[in-house]
Amino acid sequence: METRIYQSTKNYTIATVLKESANGFKESFYLAKQLAKRDINAQYRQSVLGVFWAFVPVLMSASVWIFLNGTGTIRMAETNIPYPLFVVIGTTLWSVFGDCLLMTISSVNANKSIITKINFQKEALITLGFIKLSFNLLIKLGLILVLMLFYKVSISASVIWFLPILLMAMLAFISVGVLLTPIGILYHDVNRLIPVLMQVMMYLTPVVYNVPKDGLMKTIMQYNPLTYILNNLRNSLTGYDMQHTMILLGFTIITLFIFLLAILIYRISMPIITERMSA
Amino acid sequence: MMKDDVLIKVENVSKKFSKNLKKSLYYGLMDVFGGVIGSTKTRALRGDEFWAVKEVSFEVKRGECLGLIGHNGAGKSTLLKMLNGLIKPDAGKITMHGKVGALIELGAGFNPILSGRENIYNNAAVIGFTKKEIDAKFDSIVEFAEIGEFLDMPVQNYSSGMKVRLGFAIAAQMQPDVLIIDEVLAVGDLGFKIKCMNTIQQLLKNTAVIFVSHAMTQVTTVCTKIILMNKGQIEFEGNDIGAGVEKYFLKFESNEQQIISSKNISLIKAKLFSENTSDNEGSLSIDYGDSVELKFDLQVDQSVKNLKFRLGIFNIEYRLVAEVDSEQINFIAKNSNEGVVSVTMKIDHLYLRSGKYSFHLHVSDADKNERILRQSDIVSFVVRHSLTAGADMILPSAWIDNLKNNSSENNTMTNTQINGK
Repeated sequence: METRIYQSTKNYTIATVLKESANGFKESFYLAKQLAKRDINAQYRQSVLGVFWAFVPVLMSASVWIFLNGTGTIRMAETNIPYPLFVVIGTTLWSVFGDCLLMTISSVNANKSIITKINFQKEALITLGFIKLSFNLLIKLGLILVLMLFYKVSISASVIWFLPILLMAMLAFISVGVLLTPIGILYHDVNRLIPVLMQVMMYLTPVVYNVPKDGLMKTIMQYNPLTYILNNLRNSLTGYDMQHTMILLGFTIITLFIFLLAILIYRISMPIITERMSA
Repeated sequence: MMKDDVLIKVENVSKKFSKNLKKSLYYGLMDVFGGVIGSTKTRALRGDEFWAVKEVSFEVKRGECLGLIGHNGAGKSTLLKMLNGLIKPDAGKITMHGKVGALIELGAGFNPILSGRENIYNNAAVIGFTKKEIDAKFDSIVEFAEIGEFLDMPVQNYSSGMKVRLGFAIAAQMQPDVLIIDEVLAVGDLGFKIKCMNTIQQLLKNTAVIFVSHAMTQVTTVCTKIILMNKGQIEFEGNDIGAGVEKYFLKFESNEQQIISSKNISLIKAKLFSENTSDNEGSLSIDYGDSVELKFDLQVDQSVKNLKFRLGIFNIEYRLVAEVDSEQINFIAKNSNEGVVSVTMKIDHLYLRSGKYSFHLHVSDADKNERILRQSDIVSFVVRHSLTAGADMILPSAWIDNLKNNSSENNTMTNTQINGK
């Protein structure tokens, strides 16, 4: 017979917590899937335009930049693919990253009523967020595909790198988001700060414009690891070769480390967070 | 499986909470850091903190049902959350054996936009069913919930009763070893409540149950053990449900008296007497079936010559359960020259079930047939009784075994027999 012991455990090993966490992900997969289905169904059932809303924000911000560039309002560095495509890919990916960052906090907040009442593996909330996110991602990628066909962009073998790099980048943002979740649930300042920071970061990353030939911005972008992620994602999708693979490798290793740390802290802090939510 | 294996073991469990939100959040953050770096120091109370649950210990075996009672804020819900594994104790240890089921929130995970059918899967997944289990139990859930034709209607259009029925129907499919029930039966109509109680009685046989409720009727019908909590600590623990419930009722402050009078009339004093009087902090305890005498003195204006009375007995839920009326025997009290009226009312046998009651007094001018005073809670008392009952009254009765010829074997119930179980 299964035995559960609840006590104030202050002494644990990292390995046992990680094992529990892995088990939590495994056990709660069906629940996460079911809740994702619930949320997606409910979202589209109460909407006429449906999936349209998944890419409206991206299209809107992209068209602003296309307008600014097309009218010569601002001068930008040359891009190797048509500028509209460049912007749409950039803003789409950037919006996905932003969603990844806020994913866990909003997922926990949205399911507060269950968390404070029902004992379930809280890892389900991470999986739940990820499934919903992936669903939106597929829609957005569909939009990019349409645009690529429109501009007759040809792909090369490097396209196989697109998905692995994208998943790795998503994992990085999700991990940071999970790390911020305990603080973000307690203090709502975090949720407000994240979009602001993402906005600032967007201008320091080649999202809506390419890396300039020289100047201060070039230096900043060179030190910004996200530059390499975004450029490689764009390149792999549009038939160009991968660059700076060593940086990608380093990024991956750091991401995995942060991910383990994040789920460790998440596992330990959730009972404490639950207490503060219901207190 | 052994009948008497201990499934729930709670040892010296304590939990603290903060009264201040900002501090609570800050302490939470500190606790997260403490947890992550594996801090081993046990902390005393920090500023603005208090013990919501303090040094609570008990055991529940298979087949037992522990009633957890206490006033709002006594620490029941906090204890329940720890038992359910939602929050961790700050000190002490809880050990649970077997599958744990909780009837704490019915219909958790429902989305109002979606249909009943879809929400069965949502809620069942939340409370820990697998897809296969739900598929297998789907029909019995629908049948139990009695929602039939409304299965595909959005849950937001359900009546609150239907929602609760559906939630309970899903939860009732659990086959737990340990069951935690918190106030879920407070909602729903009568038919549903009966159905719930029957289901719980079914589960009781092979389960260790912790039952939290403010409805003492349910506690007395279901529980085999009782714990009364007060300010986070156990105040009473034992197998005598009646004694625990009595202590619970005694904890209520008497309601503020409500006086409505049209003339110059006032109650000077009222006192209740009984055979085995034991005065317990203002509330009189009476054994079931005992006689009671209520003596009350009134100051009445000289314009009123003759008075008649009615006394109502209200239970703790403020429901009128019995009345006595002086008019029934044409009793009229005369006003004295000093304007003082003193009356004693006697009830030979009070057959009310255990609980806390209060007398409400109505005084009428017998000549004009006009009510001149209505005063609530003039005196309160507690009825003690070891027999548990759902009804307001337990009537004295005679029982005869018709197949036995020897008439001396026939039993007539006496008070001592009832009280001695």
